[in-house]
Amino acid sequence: MDFEGEWLAAAPLPVPVDAIDAEELRFRITTRSDLEPLAASIGRLGLLQPLLLRAAGRGYTIVSGFRRLAACRQLGRREIPARVLSLAVTDACCARLAIGENALARPLNLIETARALALLTATAPDGCLPVEDAGALGLPAHAGVAARLMRLERLPAAVREGVQEGAIALAMAEELGRLAPDAASAFARLFRRLGLGLNRQREILSLVTEIAAREGRPVLEILTGHELEECLLDPAADRGHAAQQIRRRLHRRRFPAIRRAEEGFETLRRRLDLGEGLQLTPPRDFEGTCFSLTLSFGSLEELLELRGRLDALARNPALSRILKSKAEGFAPDPPPAGPRPPS
Amino acid sequence: MTIRELFIDAEAADHPQTAAIRSRLAVPARVVPGPAALFEEVRAADDPAGRGKQVLFLTRNRGAFLKACPGTRHYTCCGYRILHVGSYCTMDCAYCILQAYFHPPLLQYYVNQEDMTRELEECFSTPVIQRIGTGEFTDSLIWEPWTNLSRGLVQRFAAQRRAVLELKTKSVNVAGLLDLDHRRKTILAWSLNTERVIREQERGTAALGARLRAAAAGAAAGYPLAFHFDPVVIYDGCEAEYREVAERLFAAIPPEQVVWISLGAFRFMPDLKALIQRRFPDSRIVYGEFITGLDGKARYFKPLRIQVLRSLARAIREFAPHCCVYLCMEDDEVWRHSLGFVPAERGGLPRMLDSAAARHCGVEEG
Repeated sequence: MDFEGEWLAAAPLPVPVDAIDAEELRFRITTRSDLEPLAASIGRLGLLQPLLLRAAGRGYTIVSGFRRLAACRQLGRREIPARVLSLAVTDACCARLAIGENALARPLNLIETARALALLTATAPDGCLPVEDAGALGLPAHAGVAARLMRLERLPAAVREGVQEGAIALAMAEELGRLAPDAASAFARLFRRLGLGLNRQREILSLVTEIAAREGRPVLEILTGHELEECLLDPAADRGHAAQQIRRRLHRRRFPAIRRAEEGFETLRRRLDLGEGLQLTPPRDFEGTCFSLTLSFGSLEELLELRGRLDALARNPALSRILKSKAEGFAPDPPPAGPRPPS
Repeated sequence: MTIRELFIDAEAADHPQTAAIRSRLAVPARVVPGPAALFEEVRAADDPAGRGKQVLFLTRNRGAFLKACPGTRHYTCCGYRILHVGSYCTMDCAYCILQAYFHPPLLQYYVNQEDMTRELEECFSTPVIQRIGTGEFTDSLIWEPWTNLSRGLVQRFAAQRRAVLELKTKSVNVAGLLDLDHRRKTILAWSLNTERVIREQERGTAALGARLRAAAAGAAAGYPLAFHFDPVVIYDGCEAEYREVAERLFAAIPPEQVVWISLGAFRFMPDLKALIQRRFPDSRIVYGEFITGLDGKARYFKPLRIQVLRSLARAIREFAPHCCVYLCMEDDEVWRHSLGFVPAERGGLPRMLDSAAARHCGVEEG
């Protein structure tokens, strides 16, 4: 029997607000929680679209109209116009109506789409996504895409909220879904706070998880440790600065020897006092053996001046130190020999 | 891992080697018209690298049996030649490059050894020293339970004087070779690592002590020996543990019987990282301080490589001062700082190894 026409045929009736079970959220699709504009509209124009309810015992459950009910309650209304479906209407039918009311009226965000797909699947008699219904309701009908989206529903709230507000992309949400829920939530909070793009999020995720694996510690411990907290608590740091500080600290912890070498090289390069027009570049990652020296000039006089500085550069002990200490990661000079400390 | 199924290429079905292997390997066998369907099945498995260890494909090698070692121009290669007897491995090491090298990774054994023999005879007739090994695309001795491959090779190499065969393994499958008249033309070689690396990264391989006992048995049978510390893995305390391995090695083996020892720091194709993370989630081996090497592979940061290789080389020299120690795929800077010389000062790495083979195995040019 087709029940879908039933609600269209039924005339709206006034239903006591207190008879509606607002806690039963099974058919809720929307993630929107702001009530003010809706309440203002209802207050001014009245409720243009009646709720869709289903009879349940002595009261009703909501199929569609969760926000409208909340707004009416906020306005102190005691009755609300609604169309009422009988108990004989199936869950699958209610699901289609709930999804249709939302999806055909406005674009759904990823979380709402995930909810809609999960609801369609859960209410299908065989427990499988009815792809034709999904397509007709404007939802992704491809089984693979639908499965990916439905997994969002099982993610921790902080991740879902991040997806909902656009701070976390689907791809990142999926990566977070492979972590323990507490770690995924901590990453989501961090990403939402720092407002990072996907590539930067991936970089931080990779650094933190690899540090955790390397050090044999839980991911959460790295994320909530003093080292990162300090960057977030710094009142002088804006989001960009905090993000940069965090990345720098994570890099240092993940690649300590490489960082030390980079700093050692920088210290020695500064001692060269290269000035304008000369640039010394080490081999990438210090793996090759050739350094590059770039000369920049705009006139013959400048070139001749650089030639003189080149001679001085070749005699600079810091350059010799750079070349000799590369294999040891630019370790600092050994301390000068002095008198032995008394025993 | 255990082989559960045998697939036989229709073109190899009537080969006597196929019949011999079928008689020794008691698993269901299927003759297939070609590799395509099997390759597809392995590729489609949840864990292709694991599935490829459970099926053995008997086929013909349609290419060359002898190949050059796939070194790159950026790092010094030993110039060894690969005898391509089969591919992949029944053991399951986290770091194994073969998981990502073959598409799909699948145990294959080539039965047309008459072609291999012909290529070897041609090779033996060239007037230069050749170093040939079967342990690049597979472990040399995993095939012992089902084939007479290594026995045949040892006997063939014993009958000439220009080439040495290196059988490289992490197994202890040498019993079938000990009674052979090898004439020192076969080098039995073991890949060595610390107890920790073997325990955590080398599933299904023989324990260190067992490898050393097998090597000692080889030495007692007069075989020249070689050892490969490859991959050397860097972790807290690794230098002391590698030193301990060197100590145990020379407590078990007379240094004068060792032809060469190679050292190679862990390096891997970028694709291997995700594969290791998926197949060996407890392994921390990919979380070292790696950079992208000049050959595109991930390598430990050079100063770290130098430090660990230098430390291990010193330990080996302490016990075996005259042993030929070389580095696998490193540049002159690493050689200079870890071994104290560069290959060119000794005629180049291939020359160094040829000389070691000449001294220990009696091979000669001309």
